[in-house]
Amino acid sequence: MARVKISEYRAKKVILGDAYKGRSFRINERGKLAPLEAAGSLTGGKWVAKIDQGVKKRMKQGLVAVDVNAAKALRAFAAWKRKGFSQFLLEPLVKHAPEEEQYLSLERVRDGLHVLHAREGGIDIEANPERVKTYLIRSANDIPAVAKATKLPERFLLKLFEVFNSDFFVFLELNPLVVRGTEAIPLDAAALVDSAGAFFTRAWGEDDVVKARSKHPAEERVEALAATTPASLKLNVLNKNGALFFLLSGGGGSIVIADEAQLEGAGKQIGNYGEYSGGPTREETYLYAKEVIKLMLASRPPAGGKKALVIAGGVANFTDIKKTFAGIVDALSESAEALRAKGVKVFVRRGGPNETAGLALMEGFLKREKLLGAVYGSDTVITKAVEEAVNYVTR
Amino acid sequence: MLGNHPAIMQSILDFDFACGKKTPSVIGCVTANRKAIKLFFGKNEVLIPCFPEVAKVPRELRPKVQWMLNVQSGRRAYESTVAFFDAFPKALGGHIFAENVPERHATELLARYGKEKLIAGPSGVGLLVPGSLKLGAIGGTDIQQIEASRLATEGSIAVVSTSGGMTNELIRAVALAGKRVSFSLCIGGDRFPVTSLTDVLLLAEHDSQTKAIFYFGELGGVDEYEIVELLEKKKLTKPVVAYIAGVIDEAFDEHMQFGHAKALVAHKDESARAKREALRTAGAVAPDTFPEFLAELARLPSPDFRDRVIPMSEFENRQKSILSTREIIDLEQVLTFVKGGKLVRRNDGLTKSIISALLDRQDLSDTTVAFAEAVFSLLIDHGGHVSGAVNTMITARAGKDLVSSLAAGLLTIGPRFGGAVNDAAATWTSGVQSQQDAFAFVQERTKSGKLLSGIGHRKYRVGIPDPRVAAIAQFAELLKKHPHYDFARAVEKVTTSKNGSLILNVDGAMAALFLDILAECEGYSKEELQELIDAEFFNALFVIPRSVGFIAHFMEQKKNDEGLFRLPDELLFVRKHKEGK
Repeated sequence: MARVKISEYRAKKVILGDAYKGRSFRINERGKLAPLEAAGSLTGGKWVAKIDQGVKKRMKQGLVAVDVNAAKALRAFAAWKRKGFSQFLLEPLVKHAPEEEQYLSLERVRDGLHVLHAREGGIDIEANPERVKTYLIRSANDIPAVAKATKLPERFLLKLFEVFNSDFFVFLELNPLVVRGTEAIPLDAAALVDSAGAFFTRAWGEDDVVKARSKHPAEERVEALAATTPASLKLNVLNKNGALFFLLSGGGGSIVIADEAQLEGAGKQIGNYGEYSGGPTREETYLYAKEVIKLMLASRPPAGGKKALVIAGGVANFTDIKKTFAGIVDALSESAEALRAKGVKVFVRRGGPNETAGLALMEGFLKREKLLGAVYGSDTVITKAVEEAVNYVTR
Repeated sequence: MLGNHPAIMQSILDFDFACGKKTPSVIGCVTANRKAIKLFFGKNEVLIPCFPEVAKVPRELRPKVQWMLNVQSGRRAYESTVAFFDAFPKALGGHIFAENVPERHATELLARYGKEKLIAGPSGVGLLVPGSLKLGAIGGTDIQQIEASRLATEGSIAVVSTSGGMTNELIRAVALAGKRVSFSLCIGGDRFPVTSLTDVLLLAEHDSQTKAIFYFGELGGVDEYEIVELLEKKKLTKPVVAYIAGVIDEAFDEHMQFGHAKALVAHKDESARAKREALRTAGAVAPDTFPEFLAELARLPSPDFRDRVIPMSEFENRQKSILSTREIIDLEQVLTFVKGGKLVRRNDGLTKSIISALLDRQDLSDTTVAFAEAVFSLLIDHGGHVSGAVNTMITARAGKDLVSSLAAGLLTIGPRFGGAVNDAAATWTSGVQSQQDAFAFVQERTKSGKLLSGIGHRKYRVGIPDPRVAAIAQFAELLKKHPHYDFARAVEKVTTSKNGSLILNVDGAMAALFLDILAECEGYSKEELQELIDAEFFNALFVIPRSVGFIAHFMEQKKNDEGLFRLPDELLFVRKHKEGK
């Protein structure tokens, strides 16, 4: 359901096939560069070594080593490894003049592929937007005209068009791109693919998806859980020592609730963002809630000694409130004492199927465990619980 | 409906019933491994037919199909949608529920159907026209929600959103503000909805019922600039109240991926704040907070309306049945076999052959054949509730064949179900031969803790006679002597003096009369009768006709094939493995 970055290595391999001579290296679980045999067999020639983890503006950050021999490339990898990077790319150097560098990007839009092209590309492209010309490819029939206008090889454009259609690419930026006759050589590539297409193509896989940011273990666990259910489960850790933790439901409702915290001036206090929706089972909701509660318990105690858990969402269409709340109660009851000790109060607002029973279950539990902040249903505005939670932690 | 989502389907039937429709608007369901789905329409249950593919929808149902509700997964949504519109090119549109429909599939659907069909999604919760159409989970899946949001009443506010949850939140807000919804379409949070925001806004503009538009949007994407453009070009003239969520993004250093696919800010003008500002400049109302947004509802025009009252009691205490079958024979209607001391003539050639074959006798008396005929026709079936029928049905639903399912039913026959006829025959024989009086016999039997076969009924009692027993009891009039029957009646007198429900039941009456008929009309000796009892012959009187009943229940399961049977949790008591666990 989202556009995700894949490694430059994989993107180029898909586009160029066997013609691509780049090699991918990773730091394996034992902290060693792999595949080691490939590294050992590197002899002679000049190489370009770079980080391959979807990092933007690598050149400016010193994460690219150009025109180096094999030994130097391996030393660069070792240096980057010390900085925490784990995925590298080694490519034969393509000697070229700066004026050969072009810019090309394609993106899937509502009526086809949106093409941006500049005869003069390079790392300063963003400073010179006026050089960029735009085109639209609705079908393969439009390609000859675009090839003519851009002077890009038609076969190369056709190949890119095919990659977007068969391999579910949704965005591709080639900068710089060097064109020599009918040959197009992308020096750098950034590609986004449609994760929903994973089932339909073998061109790339889960292993090729790069994550820009190092993940919190809780985020990884939720992601793994989400992969096993048709329901939607998302978690982002924002401020691990925040005062406001969220168990939100619904993609839109969760933003409204987080917005309210921001408007009340508590944006920086938000410990996590995320949402569950699409009718998760009691067990799935339990596992999800447990991760949020764990984050909360691991957070440093705030100055005022108070923390709030906001369990809120809109009026669900089909997510069963009783079932999902039963899952949350299962998770809360495991840590009720620890939560009390942390000064936690729970603020609830939710509506939907089995609302009355679900709210009653939650309210009864929170009262018994002395965790009750407030419980509201669909007749109260969606932002009420978070508003009171913010008041509670900031007062 | 493509794919099976019972909760959504049930909510559509509830909506239909609440709106006063006479029949459900769900015509059929395309799903594998079953031929029917059982749902409530009001208090009654109905079977919605299922088909393995759209091409198998029967001819007579085809002209009725106007809308598609596709609840299949993102992997199958594209091909099944294309298959649907190939089969029903005149259908008006539909809703694709799945998240995770690849962008390329969405743009292909857009190219194929974007111009002529109204398709909500991919993703989202569908399309709602209060009083008329509920296409998806939109508006909620339990009747309390449909009631609370007054969805049986046509109104004047169009509710539009990309977010499914917020669509419902806004629908409820309209009702809480004392207004009603004209229609609502959830565009879905995907990047390329088939029916775009512009399409929906133009629908609202051209719909004479709609007086204003209530919109919820998020950061990311450029949809709201479509509203801006329509307002600026005066293509949209009705009032627009919009809330654009996502100022929370300003609290983070890096742009976040929020709940929906397109809620990732890539360019600056996709921020919530920029979109609000652009809407305001174009003339829409775009408040900064959600409570202010709701408050704006009060100012929207709303003509008078009268609420359709939803009969909520029709939705209460609905008890779902766990099996379905048909009435195999009319249990209320018991035939007359003997009238005025004479046999009522029937076509009983088959019965004659059967009894001749079983007893190895030719030239059976009319009375013997007529009695067997009466017993057979009475015992074909006793409804789908009884153990043997239930086992037959469950076996059929597990996908087994006729013989296996029949065998499952037959193997249930035993001491507590259907196997009492032979036991009763044994009881009456030993009673008659012991020459005890009935009182002593009953005392002796009950003292040793034995049950009396052929005695007792769950429903009938003294004062409410079993019509089947009454019908076959008439055969006694055709006999000169009937010692077994007399003994059975004497026993009944003793037992009913203690408990009115301990009457002679049909098993007991059958056994007693058949013993008497065989003795008098066919000249069976005591020893010959005992031989029959030892061979459990009398149970054949049950097994033969009931096999027909079991097969009929089996056929009904295959016809409605509702899929594998599983006992619902609430119908099973489970004793915990360990206390306090």
